[in-house]
Amino acid sequence: MATAGNIYAGPRRQLGKMREHFLAYALLAPALLLFVAFTVFPIGFGFYISLHNWRVGPREFLGLGNYLRALAPGSEFWPSLGATLTYSLLAVPLQITIALALAYLLFQKIRGKSLFRVVMFLPWVTSTVATAAVWARLYSPDIGLINNALRGLGLPPLRWLLEDKGVLTLVANGLGLTLPDWLRGPSLAMVAVVIYTTWVFVGYNMTLFLAGLGNIPGEMYEAAKIDGANGWQVFRYITWPLLSPTTFFVVLITVIGTLKAFNHIWVMTQGDNGTQTASILIYRQFYEFQRAGYASALAFLLSAVILLVTLLQNRVAAERVNY
Amino acid sequence: MTRKLIPLMAVMAMLMAACAAPAAPAPTQAPAAPVATEAPAPTQAPGTTEAAPAPTEAPAPTEAPASGVDAIVLSKDNPTEILFWHRYSGGAQQFVEQFVEKFNAENEFGIKVTIEKIDGSYADLYSKINAAIQGGTPPNIAQAYQNQASFYRLDGNVIDLAPFITSKKYGLTQEEIDDYFAFFLESDKNPQFPGEVLGWPTSRSAAVLYVNLDWLKELGVEEPPKTLAEFEELACKASDPANERYGLAWQNDISNFAALVFANGGRVLSEDAKSYTFNSEAGVESLSLLKRLFENKCAVEIASAERFGEQTRFAAQKVLFVMASSTGLPFYADAVAKSEKPFRWTYVMFPQKDPAKPVVDIYGASWSVFKSTPEKELASWLFLKAFTEPENIAQWAVASGYMAVRKSAAPKAIEAVKSNERYKNFPEAAEAYARLYDMVAFGAVEAPVAGYDPVRKLMSDVVSAVAIKGEGDVKAALDKAVEDANAILKENAPGGY
Repeated sequence: MATAGNIYAGPRRQLGKMREHFLAYALLAPALLLFVAFTVFPIGFGFYISLHNWRVGPREFLGLGNYLRALAPGSEFWPSLGATLTYSLLAVPLQITIALALAYLLFQKIRGKSLFRVVMFLPWVTSTVATAAVWARLYSPDIGLINNALRGLGLPPLRWLLEDKGVLTLVANGLGLTLPDWLRGPSLAMVAVVIYTTWVFVGYNMTLFLAGLGNIPGEMYEAAKIDGANGWQVFRYITWPLLSPTTFFVVLITVIGTLKAFNHIWVMTQGDNGTQTASILIYRQFYEFQRAGYASALAFLLSAVILLVTLLQNRVAAERVNY
Repeated sequence: MTRKLIPLMAVMAMLMAACAAPAAPAPTQAPAAPVATEAPAPTQAPGTTEAAPAPTEAPAPTEAPASGVDAIVLSKDNPTEILFWHRYSGGAQQFVEQFVEKFNAENEFGIKVTIEKIDGSYADLYSKINAAIQGGTPPNIAQAYQNQASFYRLDGNVIDLAPFITSKKYGLTQEEIDDYFAFFLESDKNPQFPGEVLGWPTSRSAAVLYVNLDWLKELGVEEPPKTLAEFEELACKASDPANERYGLAWQNDISNFAALVFANGGRVLSEDAKSYTFNSEAGVESLSLLKRLFENKCAVEIASAERFGEQTRFAAQKVLFVMASSTGLPFYADAVAKSEKPFRWTYVMFPQKDPAKPVVDIYGASWSVFKSTPEKELASWLFLKAFTEPENIAQWAVASGYMAVRKSAAPKAIEAVKSNERYKNFPEAAEAYARLYDMVAFGAVEAPVAGYDPVRKLMSDVVSAVAIKGEGDVKAALDKAVEDANAILKENAPGGY
């Protein structure tokens, strides 16, 4: 039953709440303004552009026309998405495995481990464009160091970045066999780019794993030793499960990174020979063809793919990550 | 209630004001024609009395007031500032900067040019200009290839220079126009915009063939090849893949393929600019020649990522021939001079199917003027005009390695190259620069139409697939590329999108 005393308690409390809300929004306003101006508005405007035939300015409204064009059978979006996923599927496991192995090795008490850590990290801090250009030179079919080494070993030289034939086809041809087209595998140019990518990012991922390894309590290892666990058992039952949050994070950022990779691919191959990933296609459509509307639609589609893959990873990780 | 509505109405009013179309800018008032100050009446000599009445004189015809470009007035009291974007480097950049400094100090119109270097390729500059146009802040002048200028023109972002060229007050005399190589002036015209001049020629070079003369002599030949048949034969004769030596270094720059099409008597684009024609017999012959060169291991491909790869191999005597721009002359000279064993070399006109009817691919970015105010547009034109004065253009040619675009400047540029210390040990190379001017009469332009950049990519893909990798049929691949190219042409034609 309401009393005279608390008749006004409601409105007063509401007023207090409103003041509190007002203060909260007032304090949030500067950051929100920046967020809206530099994130929400560009994304919104990008979407607006994607709904138009947009050259240097808007031509006509197409609605979802650009999206339908991109998703139509035979559109160049599909092969580019295929190349993107191939690149990701090749690069991610390779990077993670090597990075984890190196981190585990450099986490042990070995001489000169600080120097090794620095050496492994260097490619990541060096300019991508510069290192990609150097690797392109190393891959040169006639004067590159890699082919010189192959010749020295009595092996035939390869065309590396200039080769659009699949690696499996090349191997089969080397053995005098022929493979059906669907079994050709990724192009050698793509593999060459993946090797370079691995060289660049292994050091960075290794550093993250080292941080993760540092967070595992030493008592766990001591207890395992007392229980008589061997090296593999220690890794399998202690290190790997307790490193899972780090592994999840590294896999997540590596997958996202590979799905939107651009710089080094552009420098090394300009998207030729089976390396035209979605990012390269978007760049080409925007800058070479000046089709801003279509390129924006492609960019949104790529974002949707990345979002989908990330959600999928989160779902899988929820069951496997030990926090 | 009313009190509650007041802030709501205020917010709505603000929103409507924000959404309202911006007011059209007030038209720039045409500057008033200068009022002629009346000359003071001459003091009359005291007249004799009873003078005979003077015969009535016919009134002098009044001069028509200046109009159009001639009516624009620039003065030092009211300086006009213009912005120039370029991507020159090295000696060319240095020269442009010095020239701007001198022009700003000496020009009588009060024009102040600000110069900005855009790092990157022509494609990067093109992208940046398009972005600037969308942002409403394009430069006043920028380097642009003819096809890029045509793209800017589609939306009226670059101006037609014809009214400035023909202006009585600010333009060129017939004698001055005749001093420009006619082909250079013609190359900035696009049949899609009849009568318009979309850029001013400052820099031109040709697709030429660099030749290692000593190696040629080893092959028992004194003269560089004149026909395509001789060229192919020599390239294959020189090749020794086991020792990584080849007849030709080929970086898939499509201007080289265009040069081949021209040499075979064909065209890249039809004369009326309505369709691409590189799938003609000449195109088929060109692609077939390249295919044979690669099939027979007479040519080596240089990856696009490998910068100056052809130059490096040429200097290391790994290749006999290189197809490249004539502007490479100083760089090739330096590369050969630094090599372990310098040799005699030169460049020559690219071999032809019929040497009696040669056609040479001549290209180069012009300087285009972007739409702004009449004063800034005029100031931009006056800057272009000053830059291409014979004395300046001769020095520019030497500094940049381009051809001098004016006939009277050519001898000075040639003399400067010949007396340059850089070519002391390479007299044949210095002589090549002089012969470059003989090629102008046989010049041809690839495709001055919007959308040519993606078409170049299509052509490049065909050359890569068919000639280098040996995949597919020559004619079918060219036909498909032309079909796609024509779709791009249509998409980028005036009013075509």
